[in-house]
Amino acid sequence: MIGISFIRVMNNAFRNFRRNVWLSIATTLIMTLTLCIILFLYIVNVLGAEFLRNVEQKVDIAVTFKDSTSREQVAIIQKDIAARSDVENTRIVTSEEALKEYRKRHADEPFIEEALQELNKNPLPSNMYIVAKDPRFYENITASLRSDKYSAFIEKVNFQDSKVIIEKMIRIMDLIKKAGLIATGIFGLLVILIMFNTIRLAIYSFREEIDIMRLVGASRWYIQGPFLMESVLVALISVCIATTIFYIALNTGATNINQFFFTGQNTTFDIYRYVVSHWIQIVGLQLGAAIGLAVLSSYIAVRRYLR
Amino acid sequence: MITFTKVSKKYADLSPALQEITLKIPTGDFVSVVGQSGAGKSTMLKLLSAEEKPSEGNIVIDGWDITKIKNWQVPYLRRQIGVVFQDFKLLPKRTAFENIAFAMEVGGAQPKDIKTSVSQILKLVNLADKAHTYPNEMSGGERQRVSIARALAYKPQILLADEPTGNLDALNSWDIVQLLMKINRLGTTVLLATHNDDIVNALKKRVITLNQGKVVSDQQAGTYKL
Repeated sequence: MIGISFIRVMNNAFRNFRRNVWLSIATTLIMTLTLCIILFLYIVNVLGAEFLRNVEQKVDIAVTFKDSTSREQVAIIQKDIAARSDVENTRIVTSEEALKEYRKRHADEPFIEEALQELNKNPLPSNMYIVAKDPRFYENITASLRSDKYSAFIEKVNFQDSKVIIEKMIRIMDLIKKAGLIATGIFGLLVILIMFNTIRLAIYSFREEIDIMRLVGASRWYIQGPFLMESVLVALISVCIATTIFYIALNTGATNINQFFFTGQNTTFDIYRYVVSHWIQIVGLQLGAAIGLAVLSSYIAVRRYLR
Repeated sequence: MITFTKVSKKYADLSPALQEITLKIPTGDFVSVVGQSGAGKSTMLKLLSAEEKPSEGNIVIDGWDITKIKNWQVPYLRRQIGVVFQDFKLLPKRTAFENIAFAMEVGGAQPKDIKTSVSQILKLVNLADKAHTYPNEMSGGERQRVSIARALAYKPQILLADEPTGNLDALNSWDIVQLLMKINRLGTTVLLATHNDDIVNALKKRVITLNQGKVVSDQQAGTYKL
């Protein structure tokens, strides 16, 4: 009995959808648009997080020691810094190593070698590179290195450049997320309003049948179910359309997106592969948002007009 | 058995529609409820189908106190009580067969059972040949018979008929009354609210007369008198 009732409720939901077909299509389109914005936000989030992770991996603090600082003093400072709880690792590049690397890099430029010969001493200082456990810790570590404790040994602490890039990136990401969330909110509200009106009209179209259903002992589910199911139907169609659009767009643009965000970076990240491997999460996100909005609006309409 | 115990119904800002009604209607009875417009006939029937709730008192149907009924129980009550109205309340875009089937679909009946039962009910109301006819292609009497047939879809214990002949000519009215008698003979309790004195007097069945919401007369084999 429950099975046949469910089939009848679904049949009535399809009939409701057909009876106000243009309104149903408009609702579906707005819902699809909302889902596309949500998907766009999702992708921005994924790409942004991956991009930041890559940039962060490259960030470190470069400490240049004074010429007068001895190797022993450098070793003591390194030990001191490495012992901090906010430091991931430290690496020393001695002036000899730096010179060797410099020569290697400019091997095909003989005038540089000649200049070095003329100087008759190593012009490159020793350096220490520090990687923090979290980008937020760099500020503290830098402040500590610039304190009086190390001022006699350290020439320069270089962090500013990377900091600016990271902060700028975070600001852009936040801006995109905020704009996306506002757009999602506006479209979400539109979906609720349009869906509410669709269901209200459907209830109006079927008022005669609803009266008779009550008269002959229809359960609340049998009367209200088709209207709730109609909204779920709109949600499911919207998810299908949005997923198709998203897949086509991604299939076409994945190479360009990967190039734009990750060219020159040491990563194998591929947005297309990421989406394919996370399809359950992506479809689930859409279903949650679409069915949530649909059921909320139709529930309000049903409560108001079908008491 | 239907029992009314000190049942009153008051609507906001109006005089009471029913006042302290106490009466018993045995199973299988045929009762005419008469009275002028506003006497409380329709209210009495609405209380029985739980369309309205009494302001005071209790209504018990076969041991079930329907004044304490929960909202979710109302559909189960209505499947035990058939209701017929003056304006038929048929779906114009459905045939006679489909209108009756609609009531059974609502209750979750299987398609095979619907087909069998609807055909039997259509024979009972003498409309077997009009099964696939739409309401606007039928006479008033035929439409009311479809309406009665729909009310019988669940084989109810009680049939409430609220002015079923109000829109019909004398001939069709008699047809409907004959049909209600036939249904009563098959064991269904029938409550007929009517203005039609000829019918009430000819029936020679129990007559309850209401005036300003009160029972002013309750006679076995009674007559219409106001």
